[in-house]
Amino acid sequence: MHTSSKLKKEFFKKWMQGLQICCSSKKQMNIMERKKKIKLSSDIAMASAKMTPTSWSNALISNAKKCEQDTVLVDKLIGPQSQLKLQKTSNKMISFHNRVQCKKVLKRSCNYAAKKTKRMGDSRKNLATIIAKRLVKKRTKVLKRLVPGGESLDEFSLIKEALDYILSLKVQVDVMRSVVNATEVVLNGDNLMKSV
Amino acid sequence: MSHELRNDPSLLERQQARMKWQQQKQQSFFNASDHTMQNMFSTSMPLAQTNETFTGLLSGHNGLDIVKPDPGLMEDWAGFGDHLSYGYMNQNSIMPLGADQSFVHGNSVSVSTSVTVSVSPKKRKADKGQSLEVVTEKEKKLKGCAEEGDSKITHQNSNNSDKATGDNKSSNSKGASTNTSSKDKSKVSEVQKPDYIHVRARRGQATDSHSLAERVRREKISERMKYLQDLVPGCNKITGKAGMLDEIINYVQSLQKQVEFLSMKLATVNPELDFNIDNVFAKEMFQPSTSEFQGLGCTSETPNPAYFQLNSLDQVYCGLDMGINSAEMALRRSLTAPMSIPETFMDSSCFNVISSNLSPSFFQL
Repeated sequence: MHTSSKLKKEFFKKWMQGLQICCSSKKQMNIMERKKKIKLSSDIAMASAKMTPTSWSNALISNAKKCEQDTVLVDKLIGPQSQLKLQKTSNKMISFHNRVQCKKVLKRSCNYAAKKTKRMGDSRKNLATIIAKRLVKKRTKVLKRLVPGGESLDEFSLIKEALDYILSLKVQVDVMRSVVNATEVVLNGDNLMKSV
Repeated sequence: MSHELRNDPSLLERQQARMKWQQQKQQSFFNASDHTMQNMFSTSMPLAQTNETFTGLLSGHNGLDIVKPDPGLMEDWAGFGDHLSYGYMNQNSIMPLGADQSFVHGNSVSVSTSVTVSVSPKKRKADKGQSLEVVTEKEKKLKGCAEEGDSKITHQNSNNSDKATGDNKSSNSKGASTNTSSKDKSKVSEVQKPDYIHVRARRGQATDSHSLAERVRREKISERMKYLQDLVPGCNKITGKAGMLDEIINYVQSLQKQVEFLSMKLATVNPELDFNIDNVFAKEMFQPSTSEFQGLGCTSETPNPAYFQLNSLDQVYCGLDMGINSAEMALRRSLTAPMSIPETFMDSSCFNVISSNLSPSFFQL
């Protein structure tokens, strides 16, 4: 529990920083923009609050950087040291990703030919295992889409990343929920004051 | 596909329902995990030793709070042996390992057998120096004459079919068989550069390198699945990979949607992104000062000791939560005692600042 509370502190600090940066620009924003800003700053804060950078956090940050408006915010939040690390890892990831894609294309073309011949004499047991494998494959595909940066990961590290991602999502949700509750309570208090 | 993200107009209702579900599941999960923790403390020594391996693995994970239930996991795994493809807890294999205790380190406890093979290389490299000679002997021998070695080993140790593959990554072997190593002292060489995972083939299983590599891979994955079972609530009953993945996907999706929903809610509640309120709260809470709690505590007598205990832990979120609770308490009391409202609100410092911050933003609503 201690590590998660540290993480929460870090996340909270960074998030508040990010929000302050956002609302330092005095223009009026409609609700959707506000929501986007909030979510973005919380995501970036979460990704940068981690002690050891993982694949998904790097992927999140690099995705956010692609969008031009938000780069300023992102840069300010993540700090100078981690930016260098990020560049290195993102380059590695890009090349790795390309390699993986090529391999996958090759594999698919081979498997397609192999499957055609295989289906002729299948016992029940083989069918069951084939179906099970297909299910697992489908689901890993979905999981890859969900976890940021999961496309270029093999199954084993995908699960590891998913573990980590779930943990940080939990932290994020907890913090946000308590902030929402706090603001609600305070606002109610203010309402009461005025009614009196 | 049920897994595709849906854009529902009734997001709020779904989110509320989901949050309730999550909380319920978490409660039930925590109840269950308490039981496993009780089980853990009654396990025998070898199981406790596996703690080290798991802590080694978990040190890479941030904020993983599941170090404790892990030995409890070991017990569960015994029950899961039927489901998993390898014959776990093979009694035959444990016996001769007892003879090889001299080669066993803190990591590679014999009881946990094939499980600890794939545990993080970091820990194992630390101990590598100790058993390097034995390892290199074995590696050299098995690299040189793989199949010959196999048959020899299987003949010699009829109970225990020892084998090491030269395919994969690192670690120490568990309980190298003393018979074969003594024969191969002539083949001792210098340190091997590539690292190998030494896998023990269970009795009656294929011993060629491909299937062993496959098995190692599968074991790694199932190990990770166990951790995920702890994290994702309600996964204790599901054992298949596909079902587990399904649960994980649902959970990740629901968490992501919760984040979206909460950020939307924050956006509505705060018309100007004016989070100075929360900043103030946080600053007040970051300092381990009991003053504001005392200020608030004058309105609510009973929770006072609770406040002070939590303060001593110096955790923001306890602070924030208690701040919320105390604020709620203050509100409720103020509802019942309308005369004291101005005093309670004016006495406590944080409320002062908050109200001053809020009033401009509030009027613009």
